[in-house]
Amino acid sequence: MPAAEVLTARPRPLTAAGHGRKARVLGALLAVPAVLLVAFVVVGGSAMVAAQSLGLMPLVGRPELSTAAYTAHGGDLLVGAGLSLAIAGASTVLACLIGFTAALIMMQGRWCGKLVAAMSSLSIPVPHIVGAATAGLLLADSGLLARVFGAAERWPDIVGGQWWLAVIFEYAWKESAFVGLVVAGTLATRSVDYEETAALLGAGRLRRLRHVLLPLSLPALIISGTIAFIYSFGSYEVAWLLGRPYPEPLPVMALRLYNSVTLTSRPEAAAVAVVTAVVSLSAALAALACLRKIPLWR
Amino acid sequence: MRQGLDLHGLSKSFKGSPVPALEEFSLSLAPGSCTAVLGPSGSGKSTLLRTVAGLEIPDRGSVLLDGQNLAAVRPERRGMAMVFQRPLLFPHLNVLDNVAFAATIRGVPRRRARTDAETFLDLVQMEGTGKRAVSDLSGGQQQRVAIARGLAARPEVLLLDEPFSALDPELRSAMHELLAQVREKLNPTILMVTHDRDEAAAVADHLALISEGKLLQHSTVQEMYTRPASLQVSRLLGGTNEIPGTVREGVHYSALGAHALPGNHQWPEGPATMVIRQEHVILLDEHSPGLLAVVTRIRTRGPRKLVTMEAAGVNLHAEATASPALATGDAIRIQLPTPALAVVGGTSEHRSAPLTSPDGKVLA
Repeated sequence: MPAAEVLTARPRPLTAAGHGRKARVLGALLAVPAVLLVAFVVVGGSAMVAAQSLGLMPLVGRPELSTAAYTAHGGDLLVGAGLSLAIAGASTVLACLIGFTAALIMMQGRWCGKLVAAMSSLSIPVPHIVGAATAGLLLADSGLLARVFGAAERWPDIVGGQWWLAVIFEYAWKESAFVGLVVAGTLATRSVDYEETAALLGAGRLRRLRHVLLPLSLPALIISGTIAFIYSFGSYEVAWLLGRPYPEPLPVMALRLYNSVTLTSRPEAAAVAVVTAVVSLSAALAALACLRKIPLWR
Repeated sequence: MRQGLDLHGLSKSFKGSPVPALEEFSLSLAPGSCTAVLGPSGSGKSTLLRTVAGLEIPDRGSVLLDGQNLAAVRPERRGMAMVFQRPLLFPHLNVLDNVAFAATIRGVPRRRARTDAETFLDLVQMEGTGKRAVSDLSGGQQQRVAIARGLAARPEVLLLDEPFSALDPELRSAMHELLAQVREKLNPTILMVTHDRDEAAAVADHLALISEGKLLQHSTVQEMYTRPASLQVSRLLGGTNEIPGTVREGVHYSALGAHALPGNHQWPEGPATMVIRQEHVILLDEHSPGLLAVVTRIRTRGPRKLVTMEAAGVNLHAEATASPALATGDAIRIQLPTPALAVVGGTSEHRSAPLTSPDGKVLA
């Protein structure tokens, strides 16, 4: 290229496609540090636990590929998985029902809506272990409510009972606040207009709930419900404090095995953790599959 | 038997607002008529529509549809449908199910509801789009579907809350044509609010001018423009010519001389301001008969020119086409045709601020 041409040459303007590509690359580069950190923790941690559960990282002895950790407590593992699923499932259903109702009340904007919003906001930062201790002090057969009603003998086995009611109640209470705020946040920007439109098309309150508010809330409900389910499925402290000693939900079993004086129990604890993680991942994938079927999400 | 929509003395105030949104607002709409409520932003237009729809409860007054007081009737039972500025199509439903919504919630079997919805989609020229997601449609298409959805509910009254204000001019014209076709085929009673007087004149057969929650005038479009009830009405409709003077025996006397007023109207005697719309002022060359005026300013508005003149110490405005070629300082002759003249009681006060039209454009 002649010198004069070089001096006067201008960079060629980017086309729309070029701009899009550049923006994508820039976006990907900006996300790289966070992705690397998350990948290190999640993939690295999962790989280590999986390796430990398969006998590849024993505390003592030689590494040897084996599924013994999974079969050592085979029966308890299945029962624990079923129990964890039942607790997490029941508490999630309750949390979604209560949370959705709370969101609807919040959307009314009246004093009761503001009260519910304030109570939900206050519930969020309370740690589960504090909630569990409170539930225990309140609901146990020697707890405050039993004493207030003078029904110590006839008080149902809410804490430590066979139906794990206190555990389900605690998760439902805590997660319903989360679900309620997420759903209310989704509805806040759109529900009033759509409700009014539906009303003017002849839809009464129940019809509006069924045909407008519920479908509009569904993606937020699925997402927040899945988060609540995975949390309830994987956390140990509430079940540990308010549940029965046996059978054990998976996280309680994992914790007990991990803290066991028998060092060979570590792979078994890792096996329980892997099963917990696989179930949680399956729940997340199922939720994503559900979301993809919803027109609003698409 | 259809008796139309009657609004009696509607008043509505909102907490924290010093002025009422509606004040003793009364209006009657004949069945099958199309009335445009025209007024500047914040004049109470949307509050009026929401009150008629039952979305707001009036402090006083009543809404009667075919003689029935709707005070205790919920919005869903009023037999009205509303199309808002935003289409507000339900995002979880496709186009067809949006239009079929009213029938579906009435319990009509889905297949029949969809068949019915297809006829309304055809009506708004959206045939073949039923299976598309609403997010795939353009703004104009979405508004068409919103109108189809409203009509499919078979409302006695269709309420339109500035439904075309977010559309570009070409699309707006198309929507006006569509509304005219819908009126021909279905003949619903339509109450529409807009801040655009051109749109109001294009769509409606009656105008109701509202300002600060009060009804200023309700009449046919033609009458509103040619016989404004007050200077405020004239100004809100974009009128800029106000000539103070006195009326005696059907003649207006002012600095511009004596002007006979149209004979088909009883004009009040005494001090009165004569108004004539700027598009009715005839501009002629200096040698033609008429009032002598000097051009003081010319503003070009696309193919038209807004000419400001001074005649006998009175400022006048005229809307002219490209010809004749005019320049500031030119002496010209003007004529004020009798049929275009009107007077309103009292004299016009001095206007220090430039006039603005309801849509916010500076007029003079």
